[in-house]
Amino acid sequence: MKTDELIALMSTDVAPVSAGAVGRRMASASLAAAGLALMVLMVWLGLRHDLMGAMHTGPFWMKAGYTIGLTVGGLMLVERLARPGTAPGSGLWVLAAAFMGVTTLGAINLALSAPRQWAAAWLGDSWTVCPFRILIISAPAFAAIIWGLKRFAPTRLALTGAAAGLLAGGIGATIYGLHCNESTAAFVATWYTLGIAACAGIGALLGPRLLRW
Amino acid sequence: MLRGLAGDGAAHGEMLSSMSRYLRGYFSRRLGAGAADLEDLVQDTLLAIHLKREAYDPAQPFTPWAYAVARYKLIDHFRRTGARPTSPLEDAGELFAVETAEEGAVRRDLSKLLGTLPERQRQVMIDVKLTGHTVEEAAQRSGMSISAVKVSIHRGLKALAKRVSDEDR
Repeated sequence: MKTDELIALMSTDVAPVSAGAVGRRMASASLAAAGLALMVLMVWLGLRHDLMGAMHTGPFWMKAGYTIGLTVGGLMLVERLARPGTAPGSGLWVLAAAFMGVTTLGAINLALSAPRQWAAAWLGDSWTVCPFRILIISAPAFAAIIWGLKRFAPTRLALTGAAAGLLAGGIGATIYGLHCNESTAAFVATWYTLGIAACAGIGALLGPRLLRW
Repeated sequence: MLRGLAGDGAAHGEMLSSMSRYLRGYFSRRLGAGAADLEDLVQDTLLAIHLKREAYDPAQPFTPWAYAVARYKLIDHFRRTGARPTSPLEDAGELFAVETAEEGAVRRDLSKLLGTLPERQRQVMIDVKLTGHTVEEAAQRSGMSISAVKVSIHRGLKALAKRVSDEDR
């Protein structure tokens, strides 16, 4: 087929596309991801028993604020990286701000408590399982994000995969926050971050394989 | 590009055909003029610009975006073919006797690829492509509605792009 014919063929079929297509699709992929993660959580671990009460406390929103912050930052990154030749942009600052916020809070809390309570505050009851649970809950979320991304054209596949993993990890961790009853910022800054970082790392490894076009 | 995004087919075609000239220059500088894969790459890239046009942000300049697509396709091509092609000195004569890559002398036979499409898709694509019918005429000939023809062509193009990339893997 000659190139001119290909061009003629392509210009017979020009559905209009709107400017915000990437953002809208990635936002709906994120919602789908959250839905999938919630399903896994409900079937596997269930909600924490005192969820209604916990929603009136600071630590619950500290956790949610951190993971939602990472989710927003990840979504901003993915929205940029889905386009050819685009730099990651300001999503990085949102991620950095969320991380700085929770580590500062954790450090202040530790500084104000007695040294013999530090281990308990840092390790909580679930530090051995928390990162793995986040990883598993985020796996279906990751699939949904990749599904959303397939329609677009990332050119830096490992970086985009990492951003997709981070977004999925942020969503998974937010959902896991509905089960987890840890309440210290030091715990969240360490073990939540570890789980989400593992998601991003796996995303970076899988990106070049899954996102080719 | 902007008018193409709004659904103006003629403007879209103009954009694609002027891009095809730039792309031919871009790839021939990097692969050597007359490289056998030149036209394949141009077509791959045009197809990607067309199918991935949602990933263009109208607030950004268009040319860097299009060249980023071309660069991605070029890197992908090098990865598949094992970096840059080299040939031993004894065979250097062949390098100079390259077939004159007349435009459209494509290694990959896209008509053969077309044959792998479902009947309805293939027929409308051939009508519109080979015999130069308008979409309306193709619709009449196949008994489909105009929008069904457009949808067939769109799906056909997508399927072709997928086949091409599967074949290269």
